[in-house]
Amino acid sequence: MRRKALLGIGALAVAGLLGGCAFGGGGTAATSTPDGPVTLTFQSLAYQDSTVAATQKIVDDWNADNPDIQIDLVQGSWDNVHDQLVTQFQGDTAPDIIHDESSDIMGFANQGYLADISPYLSDDVKNAVSDEVWETVTTSDGAIVAAPTLLQSYVVFANTDAFSAAGVTVPDGDSLTWDDLQADAKQLTSNGNFGVGWGLKQPTAAVMNTALGFGGTFFDVADDGSATIDVGEGELAVPEKIHAMVYDDASLDPVSLTQSGSDVLPGFLGGKYAMYIGGNYLAQQITESAPAGFNWTVLPPLAGSDGAAQAANPQTMSVSAQSKYPEQAAKFIDYFMNPENQAALAQGDWLIPASSDARDVVAEQTADVPVWARILKSGENLSGAPFQKATNYPQWKDQYATPGLQQYFSNSIGLDDLKKQLTDGWNSIGG
Amino acid sequence: MTSTAHAVSIPTTPKTEKQGKRGKRPKVGGIHRGGRDAWLLVLPALIPVVLFSVYPLAQGILLGFTDAKAGLNQAVTYNGLDNYTQLLGNELFWNSFRIGLIWAFGVTILQFFCALGLALLLNLDLKLRWLARTLALVPWAMPPVIIAIMWRLMLNPTYGPINGFLRSIGLPGDINWLGDFSTALPAVIVVGVWAGMPQTTVTLLAGLQNVSAELHEAAAIDGASTFRRFWHITLPALRPVIVAITTLDLIWNFNSFALVYVLTAGGPGGQTMLPMLFAYNEAFRYGNFGYAAAMGNVMVIIIAAFLFFYLRSQARSRLS
Amino acid sequence: MTTATLAGTRSRRITRPLQYVALLAYIIFLGFPLLFLLITAFKTPQELQSPTPAFLPQQFNVDNFTAAIEKANLFQAAGNSLFVAVLTTVIVTVISLPAAYALARFRTRLRGIATGWILLSQVFPFILIIIPLFLVLKQIGLINNLFGLVLVYTVWSLPFALWMLQGYVVGVPAELEEAGAMDGASRFRVLRTIVLPLLAPGLVATSLFTFISSWNEFFFALVLIQDPRLQTLPLTLARFVGAEGQVQLGQLAAASLLATIPSLVFFALIQRRLTSGLMSGAVKG
Repeated sequence: MRRKALLGIGALAVAGLLGGCAFGGGGTAATSTPDGPVTLTFQSLAYQDSTVAATQKIVDDWNADNPDIQIDLVQGSWDNVHDQLVTQFQGDTAPDIIHDESSDIMGFANQGYLADISPYLSDDVKNAVSDEVWETVTTSDGAIVAAPTLLQSYVVFANTDAFSAAGVTVPDGDSLTWDDLQADAKQLTSNGNFGVGWGLKQPTAAVMNTALGFGGTFFDVADDGSATIDVGEGELAVPEKIHAMVYDDASLDPVSLTQSGSDVLPGFLGGKYAMYIGGNYLAQQITESAPAGFNWTVLPPLAGSDGAAQAANPQTMSVSAQSKYPEQAAKFIDYFMNPENQAALAQGDWLIPASSDARDVVAEQTADVPVWARILKSGENLSGAPFQKATNYPQWKDQYATPGLQQYFSNSIGLDDLKKQLTDGWNSIGG
Repeated sequence: MTSTAHAVSIPTTPKTEKQGKRGKRPKVGGIHRGGRDAWLLVLPALIPVVLFSVYPLAQGILLGFTDAKAGLNQAVTYNGLDNYTQLLGNELFWNSFRIGLIWAFGVTILQFFCALGLALLLNLDLKLRWLARTLALVPWAMPPVIIAIMWRLMLNPTYGPINGFLRSIGLPGDINWLGDFSTALPAVIVVGVWAGMPQTTVTLLAGLQNVSAELHEAAAIDGASTFRRFWHITLPALRPVIVAITTLDLIWNFNSFALVYVLTAGGPGGQTMLPMLFAYNEAFRYGNFGYAAAMGNVMVIIIAAFLFFYLRSQARSRLS
Repeated sequence: MTTATLAGTRSRRITRPLQYVALLAYIIFLGFPLLFLLITAFKTPQELQSPTPAFLPQQFNVDNFTAAIEKANLFQAAGNSLFVAVLTTVIVTVISLPAAYALARFRTRLRGIATGWILLSQVFPFILIIIPLFLVLKQIGLINNLFGLVLVYTVWSLPFALWMLQGYVVGVPAELEEAGAMDGASRFRVLRTIVLPLLAPGLVATSLFTFISSWNEFFFALVLIQDPRLQTLPLTLARFVGAEGQVQLGQLAAASLLATIPSLVFFALIQRRLTSGLMSGAVKG
């Protein structure tokens, strides 16, 4: 009898469980006007020593000048920023000011977690960034959910000594076609050394960004963030080229494809690879760890059939919709965006500022470093790409695109299978 | 989190129970008065357990029947079996399930044989036994995260000593063990075996030390070979311990998370995507909380069913 | 000498070397990774990146340790871990002691329920618990809070601590208590003066074990702690692995070594008790 009574009580309690608890994550905080100084949390993802220092300096300067709006800088990590933000938004513990990248945040924006900062940004900041790049951080209803800061492009680093040793001229000019890259790589491959090392452990971003050079746009995105996929020749041109270099020419090291960019770097510095493809941020690591007498340069931007276009996927600064002081937070972002600050950050990471004013400052400050001119130049070809606005892109990237590309690069599936996986995968997560 | 601990306690369970039945029951107080006192004493422990594990667990099970999702002010509704019909068609989930089973059985079986071998050796009077014994215990004290970091160093394609060794004997030494499709899962399983050796070894060793020495001697005098003695005396005596430890190993391995999260995070291409990692991603990367809870429910049911059949078959064969 | 033992000695002559070979293989399998971790921690980045690495470091260089402490914020993380582990241990010990006594001495239905729960809590995957737990903690403001973590660790170490401790209580002969009671001592006095001292070794073992499992725990911390300043050691180390940037194998190894030391020391303290005391004590009754 008693057991039955207990069971009954238990069942009732269980029935009441979910009712008592709204699941939907904290509501938008009522914005309030502060009586005294406010403290805002800013989570930065800067990780290279130089950029960490630059960020710290910006925050310190701001705090000294603005006693009423104090910024509390915390250090996050690119590695888990997405999971962390999902959890933080859900737990109502997100930082006020959020550093991320545009392809990652648009999903959060569609879920209502990011504040519209357009009313708070100054005209200077707005005018300095091209409409194309603003487009990557604007939702379908016109809200600007982030300020774009730094841009990355994929560049080819070259060991110039290896070129001269092999009697290959270092490419020059406005762009370098993928075919020329392939031909040079073949010539530079000899006795155990490879023409190219490319850390493609996470291949999707690289493929999505460079596909634009072949007109590969992958998605057609509707206003609500849903999208249809179309994988054709343009989309697959770069993977095909990589595959050919690995398996037909043996000029690209297959092991490097399974490693991260930093893992491959020692091979480039040690002479195993004559060329090294990766984000331009790797230049900072090359300058830091290159042995004395190591001569390197950046080759002209890689060009496909549609020119040297790559997708612009800027790093971003957003304000959480749960922040109590969005206006104050946006003010700091406006300050963060000024040309001097952006130029300092850009140089720390060897990335390209989204702001043209900041690019000018960088060009001026780095006039004596010729490689910088090439890096800034690669930024001219960056434009928006549809994948950034597709809400389910992060999930598709993890679950279908990355595994599919990895399998294709390890030669365990063919091009048709890859195409099918990419397409079916997108359709199975409901576009 | 306490998983590391149970191996020791469980095999002792049958014994202590037996003790109770044997009538060591204390006469202090008497049963009825004791009942109320017992509740009072247990209460401080009971309340937090009910509030922070029984209640969330019940809620978690229910959550598996809702469409809870990330998003500001999302309404949650019960959607019956929708999650489960969707799961049925989710190839990735079942693939992850398959990987989870290969991992759990692979690790448990290898771990069992390795640990049995080691336990038999430790039970002998060998020199260097102290060293092996100490080393066999160390993984127990190490956080799984650190075990994973250590093995990432070991398996590093350029710097790792495993490739270094292969190169030195003239084999191809540039395999990216954790990054290659064909080697990632086997490599992760080896790490799993390493990490779980202590519990299994210690438990089996304790079981071995309980095997009656007289029986062994009698059999030896009768001329039974070492192998026959092992097969006919040691193994049957060890049986309850073996069943207990393999069952627990299997559950822990199936539910394990930290080790593989740090080793590969499920990669390359989902080759090591254990069900726990998969469900974690579903909840905390893609924000589909209800769906993730549904995955948890399916995992529980399948593990429970497996345990039921395994333990029943063991109980039966013991009776017959 | 009987034929049987003669055969025994002869076969022993063959099997002994084999046994040593096997033992050596185990020692290498179990010990080499640890040795390698130790060696890596002392190597300079140049040595680590050299295409032809030497096995031993050229010199004992502790830069990795200082760099790891500074870069990974190891001290802060260690402080957080220590706080959580110590507080959890204290709470668990205090509340499990009376409960363990009750479970061991009064064989009521509670005992069955407790055993059932302990086993059940192993079967359920944490993913099922963490989502609602996250919500419960959010409602009481303990998300992203070390006290929240303490609460969770307490609840999830409790079943095992309870079970382990009640094993020790069983090991204390009830006759002692009865004798004490007959001498007219109060119940509480009996417990304090007779039972508690006998339980001391068990309490130490249980609490150290709770400490180690809290110190090592990863999954709950991963979900419940988001502020980098509140991260526990396993979280910090896991981030350190993922951190892009320079190949920092040496620092990673150094940080790992430092983070293992406390649990290794504690483990060494209870190791004997765990393996011999608890095992033989509880198994043999």
